[in-house]
Amino acid sequence: MSEIDMAVIKPEMMKSYIWLQTSDGSIQQVEQEIAMFCPLICQEIITKGMGSSKNSAISLPQQVTPSTLSLILDYCRFHQVPGRSNKERKSHDEKFVRMGTNRLCELVSAADSLQLRPLVDLISRALARKIEGRTPEEIREIFHLPDDLTEEEKLEPLKNITDDPRIRLLNRLYAKKRKELKERERLKNVEIEEERVDERSVDDLLTFINGNDGDSKAVKTPKNKKKNRKKKDQQKNPSLKEDSGPEKKELNGHDTCDQSSDGNIIGETSNLTYEEDGTFSPKIDFDDGDMDDGIDPAIREKIDREVEDFARRINSDWAERMQDFLTSGRERTSTLSATNGNGYLRRHA
Amino acid sequence: MKKTAYSFPEEVLEHVFSFIVSDKDRSSISLVCKSWYEIERWCRRKVFVGNCYAVSPPILIKRFPELRSVTLKGKPHFADFNLVPEGWGGFACPWIRAMAGAYPWLEEIRLKRMVVSDESLEIIAKSFKNFKVLVLSSCEGFTTEGLAAIAANCRNLRELDLRESEVEDLSGRWLSDFPDSYTSLESLNISCLGNEVNLLALERLVSRCPNLKTLRLNRAVPLDRLPNLLRGAPQLAELGTGAYTSEMRPDVFSNLAEAFAGCKQLKALSGFWDVLPSYLPAVYPVCSQLTSLNLSYATVQSPDLIKLVSLCEKLQKLWVLDYIEDDGLEILAASCKDLRELRVFPSDPFGLEPNVALTEQGLVSVSEGCPKLQSVLYFCRQMSNAALNTIARNRPNMTRFRLCIIEPRSPDYLTLQPLDDGFGAIVEHCKDLRRLSLSGLLTDRVFEYIGTYGKKLEMLSVAFAGDSDLGLHHVLSGCDNLRKLEIRDCPFGDKALLANAAKLETMRSLWMSSCSVSFGACKVLGQKMPRLNVEVMDESGPPDSRPESSPVEKLYVYRTVAGPRLDMPGFVWTMDDDSALRIS
Repeated sequence: MSEIDMAVIKPEMMKSYIWLQTSDGSIQQVEQEIAMFCPLICQEIITKGMGSSKNSAISLPQQVTPSTLSLILDYCRFHQVPGRSNKERKSHDEKFVRMGTNRLCELVSAADSLQLRPLVDLISRALARKIEGRTPEEIREIFHLPDDLTEEEKLEPLKNITDDPRIRLLNRLYAKKRKELKERERLKNVEIEEERVDERSVDDLLTFINGNDGDSKAVKTPKNKKKNRKKKDQQKNPSLKEDSGPEKKELNGHDTCDQSSDGNIIGETSNLTYEEDGTFSPKIDFDDGDMDDGIDPAIREKIDREVEDFARRINSDWAERMQDFLTSGRERTSTLSATNGNGYLRRHA
Repeated sequence: MKKTAYSFPEEVLEHVFSFIVSDKDRSSISLVCKSWYEIERWCRRKVFVGNCYAVSPPILIKRFPELRSVTLKGKPHFADFNLVPEGWGGFACPWIRAMAGAYPWLEEIRLKRMVVSDESLEIIAKSFKNFKVLVLSSCEGFTTEGLAAIAANCRNLRELDLRESEVEDLSGRWLSDFPDSYTSLESLNISCLGNEVNLLALERLVSRCPNLKTLRLNRAVPLDRLPNLLRGAPQLAELGTGAYTSEMRPDVFSNLAEAFAGCKQLKALSGFWDVLPSYLPAVYPVCSQLTSLNLSYATVQSPDLIKLVSLCEKLQKLWVLDYIEDDGLEILAASCKDLRELRVFPSDPFGLEPNVALTEQGLVSVSEGCPKLQSVLYFCRQMSNAALNTIARNRPNMTRFRLCIIEPRSPDYLTLQPLDDGFGAIVEHCKDLRRLSLSGLLTDRVFEYIGTYGKKLEMLSVAFAGDSDLGLHHVLSGCDNLRKLEIRDCPFGDKALLANAAKLETMRSLWMSSCSVSFGACKVLGQKMPRLNVEVMDESGPPDSRPESSPVEKLYVYRTVAGPRLDMPGFVWTMDDDSALRIS
């Protein structure tokens, strides 16, 4: 069949094609109506008459690689079809931008160079979503950007405050004190529970189970409850037992100035021992003879005082100044007023 | 293999940035690298300055040359409770003057707790050709003359909102200064004005602005004028009535009811001063569409109040007086399943005896019945750990919890114990809690809970609580996201403050009044921390006329890049390197 015959039978086959040259030098043919979707290409065809042959191929901007061109043309191919609903277009676009950030970045540069505004818009929104909610470090990683702002420029006093070693020490001390108190509570409860435990011996139980045969195989004395408790105490505080070895070494190896201050602390408050990692930890008092309800608040008070001493000690550069201020008798004006904090009730406060 | 950065054209990056609007994200972008910092600052259009003294106008203008919207906050929050003396600061004028020169295209100014003069309003009126939004929230220092300047000159004004400001109301004429050709008003809030405005001018203004969505009238607008106003703006979405009382006349009533029924888009109602209960049914036609109801000035008693509230099934926000009582709250819990925010204000806060049957039970009911409840402000006279525990377990999605037990240091009324465990349960279960106000009898233990669990906490208000510095230390060392801490009448002193000095640079501000912080410690803090302004307030005279160990009356510490401020009144001293010289 001749070309003209074919044109009569299948006119849609006689589409015109445009020649495009991408950044790597390669040249390809693209359906004209799809390529014209890109304003830059459109301009080249109309005003300069380029692209109708291989020799007059339109030289695309250098951001347009063959792979990005292919993606852009896919986009254009979809959207240049007139009958599509908004819903269809939106759905297509949502799927279209599901690609890695690197590709998105390549693509947006290419689309921008071709002046393809809707695609630039679409990708820009997608990139914005990748940025939202992220920290500067994360954003840097995603986009491979240098960390070239100085500390001053960043004005970042926002370092994680628990990095301050003094605060860490204090918090570790509190955690240990809290643990100690919890342990004591638990021990108290365990004691109470033990008292409720079945007091029958193993023999008695066997007799009961076997239907009172009266045969007792072995006579075991009931467990000494006090002994058990002692055992449990020791089991529960393995860390402290183990530490008693190394901590002594540490103490000896420590420099004299700290040792003296440590010594002071140990002297004043026998509950503190020095641990390997530089924290102060409490020794558990095994003698629970004085464990009744009245003690706990006093222990709390003791802990509070210890911690305050500790805090003062570790902030020694301010300690001297504070000594002056605080030892010279305090005037406490009574500021307890009858009014509460809700004097004037603003609704929007 | 290290990948090279993608070099976008700047316009593309700007375009990407144009879709990123939250302050936090804008800040993150600007901290990525030098080139992004530069691009971002040129295309930043909106800025929020949480403390007007943290930065200065020249610094702001230099960094962001193309702003269209600026929000500034001045006085600390405790100013709402009269703890900040007159003249303290927060002056808007230097900002407005500077912005008038630098931002001719500025469109929006929002100020909170600042002192605004008529002169400033006149500058705004004359300097910004495309000015659209003026919000003055809890501000003071201006008169209706300043408003007249705005009305007369701002041709493109969309929003004028004076919420809770103290305005010297010289005359109601200013409203007439809106020219007849002016039709772009979308939102008007004059609820704080004392005197009558020119009602005819108001009616004409309302009816010629087709986009008016929000209209909040002041008390002086009589009820019988409301129907006309409503008929002039049937598209209203938010309405604040004036006084809601009148001679009881059936024609007035039916007129009103008809007018309300005509407002098909009405979603929010407020106002309701001096309510005459027999007029309440006039709003019944719109109740089923309401999402927001502010009855905090409505001195209506129970049956009428409950009836009204129970009709609002779509309600998301309710502000009400404690006349609603436990019974009413129970019905609220049953009727309004979409409730997100509840504020219950006291009708008689200074009375010694309870005047209404409102207890902790009301709040428990609402916490049980309203699964979306996230924000609570509740005034009551008794609370228990058990109730707080229940509330916490019911509503782990709570983000703002402010409880005000009226009598300071009230214990759990059932066990007479401190309320430590109750509040502890709140912070433990409500993992997204951002704002917390404490009250009642509280020891250091509650602060230990807060420091342990309050990881997302941003703002904490404390009064008459704690035993020692440990309390303050727990909060400062434990609450990673703390931005604002305000404390009054607590036995917190120097140690915790100085041990956690570095933390203060990560926060917006710290307020401590009637505590035990010594003048000496304040000086040390000021000297050690150059990026903090440590301000001592003392109305009884210069602090150095007393021993260094004596406690300061009020302490306000905030981070700043602008150095010590220069507009302090006589009773405020900044502690810094030069403080020794300045005080003498």
